[in-house]
Amino acid sequence: MTHSLVGSGRKEQGVVIEEGWPGYDLELFNYPEHYRGDIDSVLIPHGVIMNRIECLARDILEEIGHHTLMVLCVLKGGYKFCADLVDSIKAQSHSTNSKLTTRVEFIRLKSYLNDHSTEDLHIIGPEDLSMLKGKNVLIVEAIVDTGKTMKALLQHVEMFQPKAVKVAGLLVKRVPNGPGTLPDYVGFVIPNRFVVGYALDYNEYFRDLNHICVISETGKLKYKV
Amino acid sequence: MASYLEILDDDQGHELSLFCVPKHYEEDLDSVIIPNGLIKDRTERLARDIVRDMGGHHIVALCVLKGGYKFFADLMDYIKALNQNSDKSVPLTVDFIRLKSYSNDQSTNCVKVIGGDELSALSGKVSFVFIDIVETGRTMETLLALLNECNPKMVKVASLLVKRTPRSSGYRPDYIGFEVPDKFLVGYALDYNEYFRDLSHICILSDRAKEKYRV
Repeated sequence: MTHSLVGSGRKEQGVVIEEGWPGYDLELFNYPEHYRGDIDSVLIPHGVIMNRIECLARDILEEIGHHTLMVLCVLKGGYKFCADLVDSIKAQSHSTNSKLTTRVEFIRLKSYLNDHSTEDLHIIGPEDLSMLKGKNVLIVEAIVDTGKTMKALLQHVEMFQPKAVKVAGLLVKRVPNGPGTLPDYVGFVIPNRFVVGYALDYNEYFRDLNHICVISETGKLKYKV
Repeated sequence: MASYLEILDDDQGHELSLFCVPKHYEEDLDSVIIPNGLIKDRTERLARDIVRDMGGHHIVALCVLKGGYKFFADLMDYIKALNQNSDKSVPLTVDFIRLKSYSNDQSTNCVKVIGGDELSALSGKVSFVFIDIVETGRTMETLLALLNECNPKMVKVASLLVKRTPRSSGYRPDYIGFEVPDKFLVGYALDYNEYFRDLSHICILSDRAKEKYRV
């Protein structure tokens, strides 16, 4: 068994979910009745997401959790991850007596139609992000696949001269034209499958599902626009 | 047949650094094999299955200490939430027992039940045993025989973990959280000489730690 190497940083970026892994049987978990038949399997149970977030919060607090932390939440998919992450950061910072102030701002991006990533990227939200100047900024995104969004956001945010910018992505998808660099904080590395739940939607459905799941063909047809 | 979440023999578990683990155990564990959150989610489902199956019957919940206490507490929380919020509910009373199992020279299995109210009070009632782990199954079989002497209406057993081991007697509980490999597991109230009960994830104990905490 390997031991962590002192000073070399984290060996593994995030919890890796292997390519061929089908996920857990849905019937071993609790889920809303109205989604029966619409989901194939549970890829990441809600509890494991929470455990992983606790660990990310710990790392974030250690590295950039000083004075004021400006959190930029990417709606709508990022809202649960952001809420739970900020809660965990605050809870842990309270218990260590650190004087950390967290502030959350929200931006919206439109870039998905059904389950495909489209070309256009619209950033909607506070026009004036000048409150980011000189501060540590944490961009919180639910899912990173091509990395286009992450790149566009970073460029946008840099214009406001923050002190430092880090990106936290709950899920990173293994895609062929993947991002050159990974987010600074990664929850899980997942196969290139369309996932729903924990605020990730399929045409606005499934945001009310706690676990991250793989949508079934029935589900895709049922909720198609 | 009870359904269960299978943890495969070759499952290496997750790197410790990817989860929050108490600092004082960092050197003692090989990996996290069942994160606390997964235990909670699975327990939530078991609670739903139990309330659905028991609907209406008054049950006497018997928590087997010490290992069973966390599983019991979390399961009770979910059952209570369901009882408060749905049409079906299960009236519950609660008791705690400790089992001292020992084999004497004739290698017969003896189990003594310590604590708890008079077992005779179980007569005519549905009794539900909550335990952390079933390995050989012999302790459970002995306990069940003891309980059945009190003429309960019915006895059900829920175990968080069932070990896949050749030493198993073949006994399977009515409700199972996870089926796990025959490895040394600690955490979530599973102890090694009283250590590791304060670890919230179920982890694989390192060989080094087995020596370190040996009595």
